[in-house]
Amino acid sequence: MSLFPSVALQVSGADTGYILYMIFFMGLFVFQFAFGTRIQVYFALSDIGRGLTKLKVMKEKSRKEAIDYLVNVGKASNDSTQRVDQFLDYVTIMPVNTDPQGIMNKIDHIVTTNNDRVRAEVTALVTQNNPVTISISENLLEVATALNMIHKIVRHYYILGKKTNSYFTLIQLQMLMPMIIQESDALLNAVDSFKVGQPVGDGIGCVSVSKFMVGKEKRAIAKDTVMAISEYKGRKLYVVKADGPMAYVGQPGVAIKKVIEEMGVKPSAIIMIDAALKLEGEKTGEIAEGVGAAIGGIGVEKFQIEEVATKNKVPLYAILVKQSILEAITVMRKEIAEASEKVVQTLQRVIEEKTKEGDDVIVAGIGNTLGVAQ
Amino acid sequence: MISSVPATDKKSKLLVYSIEECPVCGQKTKRAFVVGDYITKDGSKCTKCGNQTRVSLVYAESSKPSG
Repeated sequence: MSLFPSVALQVSGADTGYILYMIFFMGLFVFQFAFGTRIQVYFALSDIGRGLTKLKVMKEKSRKEAIDYLVNVGKASNDSTQRVDQFLDYVTIMPVNTDPQGIMNKIDHIVTTNNDRVRAEVTALVTQNNPVTISISENLLEVATALNMIHKIVRHYYILGKKTNSYFTLIQLQMLMPMIIQESDALLNAVDSFKVGQPVGDGIGCVSVSKFMVGKEKRAIAKDTVMAISEYKGRKLYVVKADGPMAYVGQPGVAIKKVIEEMGVKPSAIIMIDAALKLEGEKTGEIAEGVGAAIGGIGVEKFQIEEVATKNKVPLYAILVKQSILEAITVMRKEIAEASEKVVQTLQRVIEEKTKEGDDVIVAGIGNTLGVAQ
Repeated sequence: MISSVPATDKKSKLLVYSIEECPVCGQKTKRAFVVGDYITKDGSKCTKCGNQTRVSLVYAESSKPSG
């Protein structure tokens, strides 16, 4: 007699339910094992797709805003759309870095070439000779270019992940999407401030140092950068900032180098004031002090300042005003603007503590100086 | 499934102001930002001492009452 019929005879009604329950969960397990990844890929694709649509809308909006500004304010011809589209796809090729010797000079050369090209193209497009309009047009085109590039890169990985059914490509992209959308949204919001020439959060360094420059004689010391000589408690201050109220960031690195090497100034300190990205949980407008070159960007200016400071053994001090990326590139918030008073007090204290009467001090306000003259 | 793409934030409207400050008596006047305003631009005459004021700050405030 076989074993099987006797086992079957022992199965009661309650056991049948249990077996069916087990079969259901075994089936679910097998289904999850076989199709789980595909389901997640499906959800990731639809999620990224939605984000991509948002990015496309943002890209189109920034492009339209740039064209509208060029035509309505810059009085560019109506057929400048094609030229703007060519501009958006223009690429900057960074130098080879496998042999890093002298790479900063190469980057500087390429970035300067690109900036000069942008200025020349915008000047050719707009018929107005107003430097504020030209600088705002440059910034609007830069925003449109950045959003165009972000959209293209996200779309590339979306299509690549879809084509290759690559789970890991899509999941990584899906995880990054909230940050990408947030930064793109910040860029798009910047357009509104740029169009009407309102100071942005990043310009807090310029706002602070402009108080030392008002009424003083200004001289151009580097491209889009001005310097004024001021005085504070027996110290001679060489105050440097980008030339406002244009939307310039200037060349503070070149300016500081010129003050030390060409003008022969022997400063006792270089004090830099800049906006700094706050960490989540930190308050907007909080002030932090530190040492080192307080300047962002691609690194060329930072390198130049560090090099000249190290060569001449000049201590570098930093005063930073905390803000988020959105606050840094959109119209200056009240908390940031009001921090300028505290920055000036901090600056005066640092000057008093770190230098003595008769000393020379370089003070540099870093950032986009849109809406901040001197 | 909960979407990882954030919905567009419902941001409160920002109102932009220019602050005109008298360099002599220090009186500050807050007014709505006008296109063409920039920091250090000459403002109107000081209502207290009659001297030329200067735009000392331009900033945005939320139209929503805080808290």
